[in-house]
Amino acid sequence: MAKFQTPLLDQLESGPWPSFVSDIKQEAAARAKNPKGLDYQIPVDAPEDLLGIVELSYRDKETHWKHGGIVGVFGYGGGVIGRYCDRPEEYPGVAHFHTIRVNQPAGKYYTTDFLRQLCDIWDLRGSGILNMHGSTGDIVFLGTQTPQLEEIFWELTHKMNNDLGGSGSNLRTPAACLGQSRCEFACYNTQDICYQLTQDYQDELHRPAFPYKFKFKFDGCPNGCVCAMARSDFAVIGTWKDDIKIDQEKVKAYVAGEFKPNAGAHAGRDWGKFDIQKEVVDLCPTHCMNWDGNKLSIKTADCVRCMHCINTMPRALHIGDERGASILVGAKAPVVEGAQMGSLLIPFIEVKPPYDEIKEVIEKIWDWWMEEGKNRERVGETMKRLSFQTLLEVTEVPAQPQQVRAPRANPFIFFKEDEVPGGWTRDITEFRKRHQR
Amino acid sequence: MADEDVVLDFLKGKSAAKSKFYFKDFLPLFPDKGPRDVKKILTKLVNAEKLEFWSSGSTTMYGLKGAGKQSQAEGEE
Amino acid sequence: MAFISTGYNPQKPMEGRISDIGPRKYDEFLPEVIKKNFGKWVYHEILRPGVLVHVAESGDKIYTVRVGGARTMTITHVREICDIADKYCGGHVRWTTRSNIEFLCADEASMEKLCEDLKTRKFDGGSCKFPIGGTGAGVSNMIHTQGWLHCHTPATDSSGPVKCVMDTLFDEFTNMRLPAPVRVSLACCINMCGAVHCSDIGLVGIHRKPPMIDHQWADQLCEIPLAVAACPTAAVRPTKVELNGEKVNSVAVKQDRCMYCGNCYTMCQAMPIADSEGDGIAIMVGGKVSNRISMPKFSKVVVSYIPNEPPRWPTLTKTVKHIVEVYAANANKYERLGDWCERIGWESFFKLTGLEFTHHLIDDFREASYNTWRQSTQFKF
Repeated sequence: MAKFQTPLLDQLESGPWPSFVSDIKQEAAARAKNPKGLDYQIPVDAPEDLLGIVELSYRDKETHWKHGGIVGVFGYGGGVIGRYCDRPEEYPGVAHFHTIRVNQPAGKYYTTDFLRQLCDIWDLRGSGILNMHGSTGDIVFLGTQTPQLEEIFWELTHKMNNDLGGSGSNLRTPAACLGQSRCEFACYNTQDICYQLTQDYQDELHRPAFPYKFKFKFDGCPNGCVCAMARSDFAVIGTWKDDIKIDQEKVKAYVAGEFKPNAGAHAGRDWGKFDIQKEVVDLCPTHCMNWDGNKLSIKTADCVRCMHCINTMPRALHIGDERGASILVGAKAPVVEGAQMGSLLIPFIEVKPPYDEIKEVIEKIWDWWMEEGKNRERVGETMKRLSFQTLLEVTEVPAQPQQVRAPRANPFIFFKEDEVPGGWTRDITEFRKRHQR
Repeated sequence: MADEDVVLDFLKGKSAAKSKFYFKDFLPLFPDKGPRDVKKILTKLVNAEKLEFWSSGSTTMYGLKGAGKQSQAEGEE
Repeated sequence: MAFISTGYNPQKPMEGRISDIGPRKYDEFLPEVIKKNFGKWVYHEILRPGVLVHVAESGDKIYTVRVGGARTMTITHVREICDIADKYCGGHVRWTTRSNIEFLCADEASMEKLCEDLKTRKFDGGSCKFPIGGTGAGVSNMIHTQGWLHCHTPATDSSGPVKCVMDTLFDEFTNMRLPAPVRVSLACCINMCGAVHCSDIGLVGIHRKPPMIDHQWADQLCEIPLAVAACPTAAVRPTKVELNGEKVNSVAVKQDRCMYCGNCYTMCQAMPIADSEGDGIAIMVGGKVSNRISMPKFSKVVVSYIPNEPPRWPTLTKTVKHIVEVYAANANKYERLGDWCERIGWESFFKLTGLEFTHHLIDDFREASYNTWRQSTQFKF
C-alpha cells in the first residue's frame, strides 16, 4: 500500500515512454521489502516521500525544494548540492535530500561490476534514485542526508577508486564524446584528453577559485555530439587539414543504390533514389565538390569540413590524416548577458599526450580570467567585455582571418601607442611651425 | 602577520554585515600575490577547519566556519 | 537505524582520507572488441531504428542497441540494466550524451536476442522500460533538468513534461522518417543548467512574476548583502520596512529589472519566486550544435508562454507535435528545423504553423536585439 495517494503522478505511468513514476514506485516497493536485509541509512520510505512531495507540486504547480549551500565533503568546494524540502513534517524522508555528483568515466562506458558497486553504496546510504547522467555529464545521486556525505565519499574513494565531480565556481566535470572508441569520425582520442586533463586539474575541479563555472568538453569531430561549442567555456573539436579520403568505387556503390545514404539514417521514409548531385554536391556549403558521373572530387582548399558529405557517404569518404582540433572559447547558456557560442581561438592544434600545448592555452586563459573576470562572469563574457584582442594577447595566439566571420564594420580601431611610429607624445611647437593657430 | 591571519581578520571584521565572500574578494588583501597563491592560503584555512565553502550550486563563496545566518537556516550544525 | 561507519572519523577528517583521484580511467570499462579496434573504425550503419553496427579495419563488428530512458532512474532499474548487459553484452553498457542507454553486442545473434528481450520489459504501469530507437533522422531522447523533483527555482517540472512530450513524439523516436534529426530539450528555468539554447526544439520554464519578499523573515533567514549581490541585474537593494510598528531590515526588488532567475531565492529563502499562475513554459526552435551544412545556431522563441498543465501538459505536447509535423511535411531531406525556418523565412514559419506572432517574440534584451529586426524591404507577405 503506497504511503501517499498520487492521482496526478499516476497519470504519468501510462503511455509508451519509460515512466519515472513507475520506476520510483518500484524502488519504493523494493525498499519496503528490503530483500538484502539492509539497515538503510536514510529513511526507508524516501522514494515514497519524494513521490508525495512531487504530487504536491503537481497540485500546487510550485516547487517544494529549498537550496542549501553549506553541506559538502571536507576540503572540497563542489560535488555536493544541499537540498531541503519545505514541508519536512509531512515528508520527513526527503526533509534533507542532498545531491552528490560522481565523476563519470570519459565516454560513459561502464562495466556492470562498477555499476553494481555504485548501486550498493546508494542502496545503503541514499534514496536509491539517481540521474544517468546530469547535464554536465556526472552520475548524480539524488537524495541523501548530511551524515552520509563523508561516508559515501569514503566508499567511493576507498572502494571504487572514484572521485566526485564539480559544482560551483570551479572546473566542472569535463565531458567527451565516445570518440575513437566507436566512431570513425573521431579526429583524436577525446576520452584520453578528457581523462588526463581531469586528473591534471583536480585542484581546480574540487577547490573553487574561479569567478564562475568553467567547462571543458571534447568533441571528436564537427558533428559535435557533446555540444562542446554550445556548452563549454573551452571546446576542443576535432578537425583535419588535408584531403577528405575518397574511395571512388564506394562512391559509385552509393550512386548505384548499393549502400543506404547517411548510414541508413533516413530509411524510415521514401525519399526516392539517392541523388549524389542533389543530396551531397549541391548541399556542400562551400560548393567545393564535383561529381562528373564517374568521379567525385573535392577542392580541399575550399572545404570547411562540415561533415555533411562524410555523414552521407560514410563508407566512401573518410576524415583526412593530418588530424588535430580547433579550440573555441566562451560558450555559455543565456544567463546573464545572453547565450554565447564558442568563438574560434585556435584553428588547428595537435592533440597528443601529454597535451602540454593545449594545457598551456588553458592555463593562460585561467590566469587572465582569475585576475580580470568579475564575480559570476563566464569567460565568454569577460572576452566580450575586454575584447577578443585581449584574449589573443593573453594566450599569445596570433590574429588570423579564421577567427572572424568578417572584419570589423566600423573604423573605431583602438591602436596602442607602440603600434604608431613616434608614439603619442607630439611636439606642439613643431606643429605650430607648420600651422598657424 | 601570517597570511592566514590576514584572511581571518578580514572575515571577522566583516562578520556583522556579511559572512560569505567570493574568491576575488580576497585578492586585494594580498596585492603582491597572484590568484593561485591566494588560493593556497584559503585552502590551508579550509583544511585547518577555519573556513568553509558555501555553494549556490553555480558559484561558491568562502566564509568562517559556522558563521552566518545560512547555517541556522539550513539546520546544519 | 544504526549508523554504519565506513571508517571516516569526523574528529580527524584528514585521517586516511583519499582525495583528488578523479574518475576511473575510461579504458578499464571498454569491451574487448572496442579495445582491440580503438581508433580503427571505418564505417557504421543503422540497421534499423535504434540498432547500429560499427565495422573496423580488421573486419570486426560491434552491434549497438540504443534504448531510451528517463534520465532519473533508480538502482532497481540500473541493476536490471546490469543483468541485461551481463546476459547479452559481456557485462558492458554505456550511456549517450542524451541519456540513452547503449547495449553493445559482439555478434548479431546476441543483438537480435537482446532486442527481443528488451521489447518484453515493461514497468508495472505499462510503459516500456527500454524502447529501442533514438537514431538517425528522428527524435532522440530529451536532455533535461530536475524540475519539481529536485530543484529550488524551477518554473515547471522536468521529468513530467519530458515524459509527456516523449509519449507524444514516441513514433518519431522509434522511426527515422523526419527530414533530419530533431533534438528536443527542456530546461526548467532560464538559468538552463541543461543548456537547451541550441536545440531544434527547446522548452524552457519561465517565471513571470518577480520574487515575493517575506519581510518578517528576510533579516533572520538571510544576510541582506548576499541577497543583494546575488541579483545579476542589480534589481535587489537593501531597505528598511515598517512591520507591525517596527522598522526591520529587508530588501526591495525593482520589479521591471527582474529577469526572474531565482538567484536571490538561492541565497535567501525569504524571496520565493515560484508561482502557480506566473510560471509556465516557452518554446524555442531552430537551434543546432552540429556544424553540418550550416553553422551552429541558437534556438529562437516562437511561443512565449504556455501555462503549466500537470500532469500531462496537453497544450505543450500538442504544440510541440504540431511543430514537428509541419516541419516534417515541409522541410527538405537533411534540412534541420532551423535551416528550414531560415530557408522559408520566419514569417512563413508562423504562417505554416499557425502559431501566433506576438510582441513578446521580438527581441528587446540589450543591444544584440537590433540584429534580429529586419533592415530590409525583402520579406514575404
